Amino acid sequence: MGLHVVVEREIWRLASRPIYLFAMIIVPIGCALFFVSLLDEGLPIKVPTAVVDNDNSSLSRQVIRDLNASQLVDINHHFESYHEALEAVRSGVVFGFFILPNDFEKDAIAGRAPTITYYCNMAYFIPGTLTFKDFKTIAVSTIGSMAQVQLVSVGMTDEATGALIQPLAVQDHPKGNPWSNYSIYLCNSFAPGVLALMILLVTTFSICEEIKRATSVEWLKVANGSMVEALLGKMLPHTMIFSIVGVFMQSLFYSYNHYPMNGSMWVMILAMVMFVVACQAFALLVCCVLPNLRLALSVVSLLGVLSFSITGFSFPLENMYGAVGIFSYMIPVRYYFLIYIDQALNGISVYYSRYYFVALAIFPLVASTVLWRLKKACVNPIYLP
Amino acid sequence: MKKWFESLFRVWRREFYLVTHDEGVMLFFLFLPLIYPILYTLIYNKEMVEEVPFVVVDDSRTPKSRELVQMADATPEMQLVGYASDMAEARRCLNEKVCYGIMYIPSDYSQRLVEGEQAVVPFYYDMSLLMRYRTFMEALTDIQMAVGDSQRQALLNEVGELASGLSVSAINSQAFILGDVTQGFASFVIPGVLILIIQQSIILGVVMLCGTSRDRRRKNSRIDPLAIETSAEVIILGKSLCYVVIYIPLTLYMLHFVPLMFGLPHVGSVVDIMLFIVPFLFASAFLGQVLQVFVRERETSFLVVVFMSLIFLFLSGLTWPRYAMEFPWRQLSDIIPATWGVEGFVNINSNSATLSHVTTPYIILWILAGVYFVIASFLWRRK
Repeated sequence: MGLHVVVEREIWRLASRPIYLFAMIIVPIGCALFFVSLLDEGLPIKVPTAVVDNDNSSLSRQVIRDLNASQLVDINHHFESYHEALEAVRSGVVFGFFILPNDFEKDAIAGRAPTITYYCNMAYFIPGTLTFKDFKTIAVSTIGSMAQVQLVSVGMTDEATGALIQPLAVQDHPKGNPWSNYSIYLCNSFAPGVLALMILLVTTFSICEEIKRATSVEWLKVANGSMVEALLGKMLPHTMIFSIVGVFMQSLFYSYNHYPMNGSMWVMILAMVMFVVACQAFALLVCCVLPNLRLALSVVSLLGVLSFSITGFSFPLENMYGAVGIFSYMIPVRYYFLIYIDQALNGISVYYSRYYFVALAIFPLVASTVLWRLKKACVNPIYLP
Repeated sequence: MKKWFESLFRVWRREFYLVTHDEGVMLFFLFLPLIYPILYTLIYNKEMVEEVPFVVVDDSRTPKSRELVQMADATPEMQLVGYASDMAEARRCLNEKVCYGIMYIPSDYSQRLVEGEQAVVPFYYDMSLLMRYRTFMEALTDIQMAVGDSQRQALLNEVGELASGLSVSAINSQAFILGDVTQGFASFVIPGVLILIIQQSIILGVVMLCGTSRDRRRKNSRIDPLAIETSAEVIILGKSLCYVVIYIPLTLYMLHFVPLMFGLPHVGSVVDIMLFIVPFLFASAFLGQVLQVFVRERETSFLVVVFMSLIFLFLSGLTWPRYAMEFPWRQLSDIIPATWGVEGFVNINSNSATLSHVTTPYIILWILAGVYFVIASFLWRRK
């Protein structure tokens, strides 16, 4: 009897049921591969868009050529009217359209300031944003080159007008993710999120199943009646497997796919192991409070799915309601995500991430304070469906 | 024929009994559709990313550079948290998350503007969240254009008479935002998420019911005492009718009242939405009865189904558009009801499309419902 006996017992349990192989290895790795492969391009460029040319002049054709040459959109439809184009947006055929008005060229030359208009469907955020960005750039450069023509016509030199088109240029310096690549950003947040979800589910399943099947008495007996020993023996094989899966994910991202890795890999591996343990502790906490397989699984599922939103992967925490945002601090994956930003993306000193590591270490401590409840349930397993 | 309807009704009634007497299933059939939309919307309901903090390193220290900083601070998107004496100090602020951007104004800024040369202002972004980056970018583009306009105007005033008849710009441009008119985050993400919540809660509930029936069968020498003896088609159809009937009022709540409650985009007709959603509900219910083959007992349904929500979210085209998906993901997304549900519902709800605009997703949803019905019946007969 001793720790190694519990570990051995758990390894047998894991090996005897294919669901563990599925939930611990296939799902997390499969999801990581899915994200990497789906978002391979980084940005969904070549947004299907349309143009409505009501002028058919050399100037309007010039603008359309500029649109065709631009990177972000793909002008694959030409419509006769605004209504036709709007119908196409409603049917989801295009994500936006650009309109050149009647007498566009004539009015522009005569100084009657015609208006070019563009429409972007923001109901789809990423394509909408890309379309907006592209159309705006084309509109601004069209305006600029027209203004230049006019200034030259009143006798200014080309050099003097050149700076006038854009007197102030804000130079972009995106730190760490210079291509504003969605893949880098989504894989690094959602893949650990799926891992966290599966750790929560598997840990809860494995602990509460002992109570459901009334094997918990034997489990405790093998561990000499010590709840801590029983849990350590049960969790250690899980920690090993999940950590290996997590590090595999990291190698897939940083080594194979060359996502930004500007810090120390060892720090990231340490963060991964601590993150795995913190998730296990979180699930353990739920099991201690609700030692019932169905209820505990329902709770971790509901929390696990919600955590993808509440951790602020996409929408910044400081812009949420305070009363909502505060729950973000309860979720282990948030701290892993923050460590990833500091260490891998920005490559700054570990000093700045110190609190996140402390937070990850707190989860097991909190869980250990309520172990007595789990022990009570294990000694006297009553299964309430 | 009468007998057929009778057994259909008996299956329907039995399933209704099973659902209402199972707390776990009720949790996913009622709590999830009722509460999750509210929780999700509360998370994103502030809609806009505003007042993102930035610091300035001003090496120019002229009225013009101060004016630039004030312009940035005055935008709703950006908020000045302080001046840093040099880039090293500014970077420390970035590292400590005091700010998420650094504006560097070089010493020749003012001089270049006055002399009619292009002034370059580098801006350093923290790229941890793309939403912040996008917010900064938007504000800075506007500032860039505003400064440009005022510079041009100043010059045209100097040119004076020569340029009478010339306006600041020879061409105007105007942008119109469709769909998510306010460009809010909740307004964009929630309509799609609602559809995913419907599909996932149906699948989870259905799979749990099937798992429980398997548990009963195991205990009862391979016979489920609560099952009704009739053909596979009637059983699958009767059960699904039960789920659809439960979900119709829930769908009305989620797709009509939730957008109203939170002021999300909701410009389409409710009748169109409800008509559109019927094949979606059937397709989801049948899909659940196909996926149940992967679940041997009630509790493993969580391990098998829950993570799929993420996969379905990404395949739906809501975040990553479908035109950018490649084989085999595009094909996989084609066979998921939520993909078409999201496309149709978002177009009706946010872009005021009518049922005739969304015929493609509507027809595909009926086809999916038919295909999953056949597969589910086949699987039922085999066991």
